[in-house]
Amino acid sequence: MKLSFFETARYQASKPLPTEWPVPSGSYDPEAGARAYRGMIERLELVEALGFDWVSVSEHHYSPRILTPSPIVSAAFLAAHLKKIKIALLGPIIPQSNPVRVAEEIAMLDTMAQGRLIVGLLRGTSNESLTYDLNPLEARERTDEGMELVLKAWTEPQPFGWQGRHYRYRTISIWPRPLQQPYPPTFALGTSRESCDFAARHRLGCGVSYGSFESVGKATRYYRERCAHYGWQPVPEQIIYRANMLLADSDDEAQEALRKLPGQAPFTMRPGVRDAMMTLDSRNIAGEARAPIVSGALPTTFVGSPDTVVEQVRRCRDVVGAGVLDLSLHPPGSSSLDPLMRALELFGKKVLPRIRDI
Amino acid sequence: MADTAFREGHVDADGFRIRYVEAGDGVPLVHLHGAGGLRLTPAHDLLARQFRVVAFEMPGFGDSPVNTRTETMAEMASTLVRAIDKIGLDSFNLMGTSFGGKAALWVALQATGRVPALVLEAPAAIRQEGAAPPSGTPEEIARRLYAHPERMASIPPIDPAARAKAQPLVQRLLGPHRDADLESRLQDLSTPTLVLFGTLDGVIAPAMGRIYKDLMPNCHLVFVYDAAHAISTDRPEAFTEVVVDFLERHEAFVISRTETVIHP
Repeated sequence: MKLSFFETARYQASKPLPTEWPVPSGSYDPEAGARAYRGMIERLELVEALGFDWVSVSEHHYSPRILTPSPIVSAAFLAAHLKKIKIALLGPIIPQSNPVRVAEEIAMLDTMAQGRLIVGLLRGTSNESLTYDLNPLEARERTDEGMELVLKAWTEPQPFGWQGRHYRYRTISIWPRPLQQPYPPTFALGTSRESCDFAARHRLGCGVSYGSFESVGKATRYYRERCAHYGWQPVPEQIIYRANMLLADSDDEAQEALRKLPGQAPFTMRPGVRDAMMTLDSRNIAGEARAPIVSGALPTTFVGSPDTVVEQVRRCRDVVGAGVLDLSLHPPGSSSLDPLMRALELFGKKVLPRIRDI
Repeated sequence: MADTAFREGHVDADGFRIRYVEAGDGVPLVHLHGAGGLRLTPAHDLLARQFRVVAFEMPGFGDSPVNTRTETMAEMASTLVRAIDKIGLDSFNLMGTSFGGKAALWVALQATGRVPALVLEAPAAIRQEGAAPPSGTPEEIARRLYAHPERMASIPPIDPAARAKAQPLVQRLLGPHRDADLESRLQDLSTPTLVLFGTLDGVIAPAMGRIYKDLMPNCHLVFVYDAAHAISTDRPEAFTEVVVDFLERHEAFVISRTETVIHP
């Protein structure tokens, strides 16, 4: 099992914040932001020393919960400060990006990071549609087309035009191209039928997140079926499972921490927006409709003592088939960093060495 | 299907009676069809709003008698140039689809100075090894030609007898998958050329597009997303927009004219 640490830049607010998303940017504290980014490097030096294979970053906007609106900037910052660990860029949100720019920036970054980049391309969470005025009804199609254009920009040696549905360019010819040829290990992220099929058709990896083993296992099973349809079989390292973990010395302690987690996301959309989004933003797991996550807390699927968690990881490998665990060891947005640091040390000592061979 | 009124005509050239259809006014645009024969698509209608579109049926296709006489694509092109002369087209834009793409290249080579711009839709002049024209039942052919045949209101009909009749001619004129003679001539063909491939082309690999660009001095390559081999049927609006822009502006078509002002 390969291990990835999901880094969210832990912003520690100096005063209580409004709870509505988008969070007013006037309540941002520049000093606290600077501390969050400095702390990120200190923490990740430990993460690297503990033996994690990857650090991952994501794209989220307009809130302090995950303070990385530009994952490419985050990844560049990390790549410059960390020497060995691979940098997993598990953004960028394709439907609200310029795909050619994404291809260029990833190629630059892969080259600057000396080939340490891992790439995930995705549609993004429901609220992100509001960030840059993306019509949620068009998000799926823009994602598929944009991802295909990113791959083409990386691989086509001659200048070319793109006559798409949602994107049109008369001439594309990127410099640099990625250091890892033809392109870095790339994943389509998401449980949807469309995302799994795209990954299978283009021989990409597949990344799933947060759901129960059984539920994300449906998606990874579908992904493997589609790979077989296209005549290939993915290796376990081509399946990432991002999940929350609550690790403690004992099961009781972990369960107690779980009970204390808020049932709601820390920053939520206004009810009218949330309700409208529920009807506009269609989501599925391997073709089976699921409700979009618009304000609920994300589930925690690994909970317990080191022994318990090791067994859960074993079960996860069987049910989900993932060869990479991308872990959030404490919910982002929490008020103290101490539980995260305790969990990280415990994980490094008591769990990581025992799940390597799973 | 066509809602513009395409008029049918015939012209005699090299002892063949050649059928053509035409519609629209303005600068002439000659179209040469693929191995399946002359078939009007929605793109013909859209193009006829801007150009005088003249689509020929090459001798040996459709209802014309079997053609055992034409040996090479260069010969076919010379017959077509005579037909174009008979219609009285002095200068004409030229568009070739698949098999007709190879014919169009030969016409452009022979009608030097008369073709302001050339458009090649999924051209078959350069093919990956083992590439073969679609064959089989109409359903099997449709799956090779179109990106999403299951979404189409109606699959354009196929006449198996006409296809069978033209098959030996197609094989003869297509020639080898890499035609050294033609490719060496392309290096001197400076006609502004637009090569289009659908990203889902399952007949000719879209990667063939870059070879035209490697060879030809003034060639532009455009991928049409979510289209298969029959680009102009799969995405007629997208196809027509880029073709019209290229025919109007040639290489300057890379300069955007899209207005982005939302409100004044």
